[in-house]
Amino acid sequence: MTQRVTGQRFRQRKLSTKQNLPILRENEVEPLPDDEASRHIPKVETGVEKGEEIEHHLQAVIASQAVRTAAGKSENVYIPTPEAVDSQLQYPNLYPRKFTQPATYIRFSSTVEDSIGCLYCMNSDDAAFLKVYNQKRGKNIHCSEDEFEQVMNFFEEMSQTKQPYATVDNTPVLPYEDFESEFDETISELARRFAKDIYVHWKNQRLLKGNRMLMPTLKFETNLDTDDSDPYVCFRRREVRQVRKTRGRDAQVTEKIRKLRKELEEARFLMAQVKKREMAQRDQLAIDKQIFEQRAQVKELKRKLSIKADDEELLITQKPPPKPNKIKIDVPNRGVPGLVRPQVSRPDGRILDSDLIYLEDQKAKKDQMIDGFIEENLMKHQKWNVGWVDQTWRPITPPLETAVAKSEFRAVHISSESQLLTPPPSLPEENTGEQGDPMEVDQSEKQIEPRRSARIRYATPPEDIPFQEQDRFRRRLGRGGRIMMDRRGVKRPLDGVEEVECRVADRYKFSGEESEDDQIYPIDWTDNLHIRYRIMIERQGEKQHAQQAAAANRRAIENHNRSASGHLLPPSGSG
Amino acid sequence: MAPRENSNEPSGTPVPVETGFATLATLRTGVKIWVEKDREKRKAEILGIQPRRGKPSFYVHYEEFNKRLDEWVPPERLDLTREVEWPAPEKADKKKSSSSKATPAPPKVDPKNLKRSRSKLDREISATPSESTSVSIPGKASRATKANGKENKDLLVGSEAADGPTPKPEDEEMDLVDVQEAAAAAKGEPDAHYSREDEIEKLRTSGSMTQNQTEISRVRNLDRVQMGKFEIEPWYFSPYPIDFIDSEMVYICEFCLNYYGEVTQFERHRTKCTLLHPPGNEIYRDDNVSFFEIDGRRQRTWCRNLCLLSKLFLDHKTLYYDVDPFLFYCMCTRDEHGCHLVGYFSKEKESAEAYNVACILTLPQYQRKGFGKLLIDFSYLLSKREGRLGSPEKPLSDLGLLGYRAYWQETIVDLLMDGRAEGNIEDIGAASAMTTNDVLHTLQNLNMLRYYKGQHVVVLTDAVIQQRERQKEKEKIKGRRVIDPDRLIWKPPVFSAASRTWNW
Repeated sequence: MTQRVTGQRFRQRKLSTKQNLPILRENEVEPLPDDEASRHIPKVETGVEKGEEIEHHLQAVIASQAVRTAAGKSENVYIPTPEAVDSQLQYPNLYPRKFTQPATYIRFSSTVEDSIGCLYCMNSDDAAFLKVYNQKRGKNIHCSEDEFEQVMNFFEEMSQTKQPYATVDNTPVLPYEDFESEFDETISELARRFAKDIYVHWKNQRLLKGNRMLMPTLKFETNLDTDDSDPYVCFRRREVRQVRKTRGRDAQVTEKIRKLRKELEEARFLMAQVKKREMAQRDQLAIDKQIFEQRAQVKELKRKLSIKADDEELLITQKPPPKPNKIKIDVPNRGVPGLVRPQVSRPDGRILDSDLIYLEDQKAKKDQMIDGFIEENLMKHQKWNVGWVDQTWRPITPPLETAVAKSEFRAVHISSESQLLTPPPSLPEENTGEQGDPMEVDQSEKQIEPRRSARIRYATPPEDIPFQEQDRFRRRLGRGGRIMMDRRGVKRPLDGVEEVECRVADRYKFSGEESEDDQIYPIDWTDNLHIRYRIMIERQGEKQHAQQAAAANRRAIENHNRSASGHLLPPSGSG
Repeated sequence: MAPRENSNEPSGTPVPVETGFATLATLRTGVKIWVEKDREKRKAEILGIQPRRGKPSFYVHYEEFNKRLDEWVPPERLDLTREVEWPAPEKADKKKSSSSKATPAPPKVDPKNLKRSRSKLDREISATPSESTSVSIPGKASRATKANGKENKDLLVGSEAADGPTPKPEDEEMDLVDVQEAAAAAKGEPDAHYSREDEIEKLRTSGSMTQNQTEISRVRNLDRVQMGKFEIEPWYFSPYPIDFIDSEMVYICEFCLNYYGEVTQFERHRTKCTLLHPPGNEIYRDDNVSFFEIDGRRQRTWCRNLCLLSKLFLDHKTLYYDVDPFLFYCMCTRDEHGCHLVGYFSKEKESAEAYNVACILTLPQYQRKGFGKLLIDFSYLLSKREGRLGSPEKPLSDLGLLGYRAYWQETIVDLLMDGRAEGNIEDIGAASAMTTNDVLHTLQNLNMLRYYKGQHVVVLTDAVIQQRERQKEKEKIKGRRVIDPDRLIWKPPVFSAASRTWNW
């Protein structure tokens, strides 16, 4: 009711926590009626559970504090708690003075399990058993407490891993044999000697406990319905959210971890292998040394007994140095066999050096191919020529008998040797040469196709044109040091067909000194077939002596062929 | 929570309480009886009955006293000359039970028969693991409740009204629930208010305190605890291994906090234990104390041990879930034996409700020495480093409330007395890392917020000033223990989603 009155007198504003409030001493404010003092200030809860807020002692203390603040008296009231008293145990014995404080703040990450050694601690029953046991052993080696605990701990842990639900489903205690096969590094050699005897004790203890763990353990969730109401079940897992659908990132992370793990394991394996190897090497060294020493002994003995024998066998058998393995690269068979390509570049544009091809292999293969081809052709030719008289034989066949002296040939004037040496000429020259000069013929021929000159300029063949269609030139040395030019793929322009034809027909009209009645067989020297044939024959020539079997036959035809393939200058009619 | 108050005043209860005279034989759990305590008669509720040294012994909770004073009393201390209050059946079944069965006035034979048949059953199924609990005190207690507890349950689950004095074996598993429900009912806690499922879900995601009566109304299970140089009497139930019920003393290693039911085992352990301080990083050190920061996920065993230990002294702490989401800040004193744990507070790595402390405890052997204030001060220092406001998780215990109130008062009064002419509540909070609510609470509790001349003012009352000055004098004589912020070497730990999931 007073509130209403005051409310009428002045409207109270709500308390704002952001607003600055004057801080006053008590004497600066008028004392107000009690119930008005804190009105309109929101009641704040204490935070103590309501049921306990009214507890006797808490209220007593709060009341006494109120009294204190009011009266200024210092009378302490405490909430009584059960007392803590000094223990009877000898503290310094249990907790030795081992701690020295480091200068810097302690940083520590070992866990309890890392720090407390063997988890099993023997109880009084164990101690009694051990005492009796050691007495029984008499003068034999006694089992220490540590060893005892080691064994017990091993039994406990092993049965826990082997029978995790022993407490639930009443499984029988594991037999000793199961343990014996599982002994690992956690149980020392010394302790193993007592294991069998301790097992009896352990089994008894387990049976007394219903095959439960001997050390008291906390109760964790077992996923049974009883869990929830069992006050002893504690530290349940918080299933972190629901099972998430595997997101890409998660999968990546797992993948990465898996990979890492795999790599680490591989590294570990490698290290283990290296270690193994080094150990083996060490052993080997030791053995070698032993052998050496024993041999030395043998030597001594031999000398003593003056046995004369070959001492060579006593030398340490020296192993031949390991031969470097020959790396053989299988050269894949490329392209059409039998075709010799001018190996400037290849149609696939690769540089030649990029493939390691053994010359001898390649040569052998080529030779084989060529031989086969030639053999075949020779047979063909023989077949074709059966019953025919070769009229061309005589006039074309060059004299076989003697190597003609250089002087017997006409001197060839080479106007500019460099040009001839580097076919094709970079520029078609204006032909001013005399008629009758053999080289002039060649040049004049080029002159008649001036439109192609641009193409000829290239020093290296363009890559965009297929190999077969490219123009190619070759310089050859003929007998008597003559220089010959072979070309290939040069097409004649269509419009000048007639003219060229007749020119070609008359090409050799005046080139020879021979009589008129000698037949002239016009041959297109630039024809692919002919070029190929010539090449083959040249190769054949190299191989000649190696191929004795077909020699006679071949030689005849070869001569014939050579005449067919011809030279720039048909031989004089001397043959 | 009004119902609670009602149930504490029998006269005002809407449902009249059944009263009557009882004999030792008719006493059962849930009965409220007058018990002699410190030469005074106090009304107490029987929570458990167990034969001890040939005589029945009664575990009683004194009304209006904290549960830490619950104790076993011999029958001599029970006042059977006064009427006892029979436990009220649940409100829901009040109507029903009146029709189906008479009020649970105990016919003399009934509990005895029950007990006998029960114990026979016990023997028969004692091999099952769940039965191990019923050997324990709570189990005993539950058995004793059976007479009325079963009734409640029957009505709850709606099974046949009464199936004779011999209960079915399946009932066994319901026992604990029964006794807890009974306890909750006895406490006058309406269980509909805050369902168990809700609370468990809340605890799963955050927090470490429970309001659940079923979890906190448990009979203390350990008699005595030996730790370091001291023997301590536990205050509350803690889920230490069930085997320890038979142990007169549980030995706790001061450094690794492992627990042993036998002195031989403990002594053996001490020969092997190499820990000399809490297994974490020291983040603060001054002449008196050191603080260690320990990650619950990395030091699971140690933190579990710590929680088991602290549960002995914290009523509302729950160990339902594991320790992973908490950091533990442990305060130690040092000597050449090692770093002795004095107290600690736990803190959620990420608190949804901006708590800066989950549980806080000074071990009983070190209480009333000013350590609690240091702990609280340190928790606020961490909050200041984080640049956050913090508040302890609720509910506070009685001792916790007093400790915090004292700290808050001192802090705020110091701030206000630095000569400033005005101040606002949020600034005070920001300067002390206290939430606005806590500042308000403190000012209001000390009657320092007033309305004067049309506006609110903060009044530094004479009483408050006097008290502060007295305190300062005392500090001058005894020496003042404070936390020196410069000695804290600490960065707020950051926990990424990956580190929480994968422990990176």
